[in-house]
This record gives sequence, structure tokens and C-alpha cells, in this order.
Amino acid sequence: MSLDLTAVAAQVINMISGLKGKRAEQAQHLQNALTTLSDTAIDLEDLKKKIKAAKTTWLVAEIYEGLNQRYPLPPLPPDFTVIAADGSHIDVDRHQNTHCYLINIGSVVLTYGSQPDAALASDPHLYADDKDLVLTHPTNGREQAVEGNILGAKRSVEECKALVALAASLPPQNPILALLDGTLILWGLEAFPDFVTDALLINGMLKCLDAMKKLNKDRRLALASYISYPRTTDVLNVLRVAVCPNDIPDCDKQCPPAHGRDCAGLNGVRDRDIFMDLLEDGERSALFISPSKIVKEYYGDHKVYFFYLRVGDEIARVEIPQWAAENKDLLNLTHTLIYDQCQRGQGYPVALSEAHEQAVVTGGDRENFRELVESTLTGEHLASVTSGKSLSKRTRWV
Amino acid sequence: MSKTTNNKIAEVIEASTAQFTAQCYELYEMPPLGALVKTGDIFGVVANEETTGMEPGRKPIARGKDAATEEAVYKDSPQLKKLLRSTFTAAVVGYCKDGKIHQYLPPQPAKIHAFVYLCQPEEVDEFSKSFSWLNILINSAISVPTEEVIAASLRQMSRVREDSHSFMVAAGKEIANILASNIARVKNILEKIRHDG
Repeated sequence: MSLDLTAVAAQVINMISGLKGKRAEQAQHLQNALTTLSDTAIDLEDLKKKIKAAKTTWLVAEIYEGLNQRYPLPPLPPDFTVIAADGSHIDVDRHQNTHCYLINIGSVVLTYGSQPDAALASDPHLYADDKDLVLTHPTNGREQAVEGNILGAKRSVEECKALVALAASLPPQNPILALLDGTLILWGLEAFPDFVTDALLINGMLKCLDAMKKLNKDRRLALASYISYPRTTDVLNVLRVAVCPNDIPDCDKQCPPAHGRDCAGLNGVRDRDIFMDLLEDGERSALFISPSKIVKEYYGDHKVYFFYLRVGDEIARVEIPQWAAENKDLLNLTHTLIYDQCQRGQGYPVALSEAHEQAVVTGGDRENFRELVESTLTGEHLASVTSGKSLSKRTRWV
Repeated sequence: MSKTTNNKIAEVIEASTAQFTAQCYELYEMPPLGALVKTGDIFGVVANEETTGMEPGRKPIARGKDAATEEAVYKDSPQLKKLLRSTFTAAVVGYCKDGKIHQYLPPQPAKIHAFVYLCQPEEVDEFSKSFSWLNILINSAISVPTEEVIAASLRQMSRVREDSHSFMVAAGKEIANILASNIARVKNILEKIRHDG
């Protein structure tokens, strides 16, 4: 049966009226945040120390350049290249007896300036070997199946690998921006044992970032990941620490759940709300450093820096590795080329949207893939066993 | 855009007994309407052409509001040349067997991915020695008005004929024979042939 929209409609109306009621409070909280952000009485060095000492229940960005700086759009180079990779996957279907997954990587090279050119490609890869389907601990033999979040992380690694290959294949004359969609931080791995992190982060993503950094020896190559409409509050949480009346904030001890919090006046505000108010079109915020535990532990000189960028009526979060952030030339290249990409792409980097178009695996594609596997099994006189649940979903009856 | 060699201009992407559709190797580098083309042993007359988005679900949008020239639109968005495609449909008008041209439908349609060539003047000259193809074209189910395609094709062919005037007169007589019961259509075609400079 289809969704009963009549029953949902009343709940939607309630939800919207609830949001309306909170608008005045939200506006006040945003104002509080903006006042704190530009508070000249805040000593940045003291605040950095306070952040370092604080025991908060939320993640607080590290301050690198300041709080309320605004950087205008740097000039666009006459000739440049933007490359991007994006992926989609078909996860292991536990209702089938064939264990395999598929990753489809879309990649794009867009060259602008005196010799404009484009190359678009998609590269599907089927993984069915045991070594691809499980990650194994090198000594105790413990196994972790590659599916769900782990497959998502593997896909990110494959996207980054594709990007490295593209970057290495380009002539070194043009400055290059390599773009990924989403975050550079493999958050999903925090919940898994070390051998998974070793395989996907240390020997996967970070190796790719090493290769990217090395390619800078003979070319200007910046790397960034782009997050549209981010929900992050890392900078807002800096302001929470700033307004905390305790010298060393300790949320659990000083402000247990039932206890009122001095930072409650900032509740509900996101970083994007702050920078939407602060930045003009094309401007970027100050650089901040990701407070993520996995970054601190593993990323080394690929430590993830980020800034917010105003693109028309949207704030985007741009994450870059330390070596690109601390190199003024690469930082400016990233800033101007991402903005330019958004201008060309109706508000979203055109290279990323084309890479996505190359990568996307539709519902129809999934069905065709399943049929291809089944028909090949049948062709080889092998039984195609399907679970009762899967069968009941595919063949509906009354 | 780089030129393809040997007049290879396109590749068959749809084929049936009476028509085939081909994708051009270069955007906008389509043969003229009415041109004689060949794929394998099959001859076709270009009967319709279009340039569309590569994927049916992605429609082109207006991009040039702030661009000084149309060229600048393509320069600023280099991916366009990979996302758009030019195709044409040719009405099958004959085929070649054992070195002899037959102006009737071939036993098998063109193959998918077969290369399509623009016919050389000598091939056009040879093909246009007979007018049986006109009957096939007049009765073909093409989306562009048949009169337009026939007239365009005759104009193309007349350019390679030594005596183009005699060629047009002979073609006009053939059309009048085939369409004896529909004088309006005959007049329509003759009008379009006569206006060729």
C-alpha cells in the first residue's frame, strides 16, 4: 500500500507551526553568536588555551587564523584545470547467494582558458574476491565484512585513488584543483577496530593524500572536498567555549543535563547561519582545523583544515589538507576555483555534478545488475538462490 | 574539433529495415539534409537531424546571459561538447550487392555501431543515374515532410551531375509519374527544386 499522505499532512502542519514558533528564539541565538564572534574583548590565545583544556560533549574547531576574518575572492588564473571524482555503489545483497559489490567511479577533467577541453568517464568495478569482501586482521585473523559503512569508506578511498590517477596524468603546466564531494574525514571508521582503519585510512585514503602532496613537486595541485549546505557546528562550539563562564569548561561536571547552560543562548545555530551573515558573495571565512579524533590520531600532515565559502545564497564548507591550507598559493587557488566552479554550475561545482552524473547508479541500473548476475548464473547452470523476503518484495501478490 | 578521416562521420545507434539513426562523431558536424550517406552496403538519404542532450533526463538550459558570444558559452563550459550529441536519421533508399546498386530495401538492416560515410561525388553520380529511390522516399514514414527531403536530396545530387538541369527535369518527370494523383505534392517539390540557386 502506498503512503497515507492524508494522515501525514496533519503531522506536517504541526511540524511547520512548531518551526515557526522557534523563529524569534533562533534569531536571538544567531545574534548572540555573531556578537561573540566579533567580540574584541576575546583574547584568541587565551581562547585557544581554553579550548585545549576544555572537556566538552561536542567537537570544537581549532582556531588557525582567527574567528571573524573575511577573505575576498582571489583573482582567477587565465588557464586552469579542475578534476573531480565521485562514486556510487551497489552493496552486498545478503538476500542473494552471490556475494559481491560494485563501485562505479565517475571522473571528470575540465580544462578552462585558452584551450578548453573536457573528459568525462565512468569506471565500474565488481568486487567478488574474498580479499575484497572481508578485511582480515594480519595476525589474529579477525574479520570485518566490507559492506554498509565500511563499503562507504572503501568507495571514498576509490574516489581518491581515481583522483590521484587523473592528477598524475595531466600535464604540469596548468594549475589544478582536485575536488571530492563530502568530507575528507573518514568518520565512519571511528567505530571499527584498528585493522580496518589501517586498511582503509592508513593504507588507503592517506596514501592517496600522500601521492597528491607529492605531485606538487612539479605542478600546482590543490585538493579540496566540498560540502554543500553543511550542518556542522565546529565554529559555533568555539563560541560556546568562549561564552562559558568556567575557566576550564567541563560540560558533564559543571552543566549536567538538568542544569541550565550559559551557552544555551547559542542553541540551534549552525556554522552556516553565522557565516551567511558574516560573508559577502565569494568571500571565505578564516581557516579552522577539524577537531575530529580520527584526524588528530591519523592524518599527520594531511590534518584537515576547513573554511566556509559564500556562494550566492548558500554557505559551503570546504575541507583541505594541511599542506594545501598552509600554502597561500594553493589556498587561494582552492578558494577562487571552487567559487568559479559554483558560478559555472548553477551554485554547485560543475566538475562534481558531472562526476556524480557519471557515477550515479539508478534503481533501474541496480535491477539490471541483479538480472545480469542471475542470468549469468543460470547460463553457467548454477542455482540462483534468493531469500524468501527478497522474492516476496519483488513478486507482489494479493 | 578534429576532422574524422575517410569521410567517416557517424555511427549507427538505431537501425530498422527502412531507416537508421546515427550519432555524429563531432557535435554539430552533421551531413546536410538530403545528403546521400552509406553504411556497410546500405545507402540512405539524410531525412532528419537533431542535437540533444546525451541523456534523455538532462535537458540543456540557457547559459549565455552573461556571455559575449555563443562560442564563449562553449568555452566556459567545455563539458557541453561531451554532454550534447548530434544525430541524424537516414531513410534507406537502396543497397549495393556484387558491385551493383539496387534501389530497393536491403534484405537486412544496418548494424548497430556500423560506421556511416558521406558518399563521394562519384558514388552520388552513380546512385543518381536511376530514380527508383524517389518512390521509396515518397512512401517512407519520416518525421520531416517528405517533399522537403526529396527536394533537398535532388538539390544535393544535382551538384555532382554534369548536366544538372537535365537531371532536375528528369527527376521532376519521375516525381510527376509517381505522384500523378496528387498534383499539389508534385508542385510543392518542383517549387523547391526550382528555387535552388
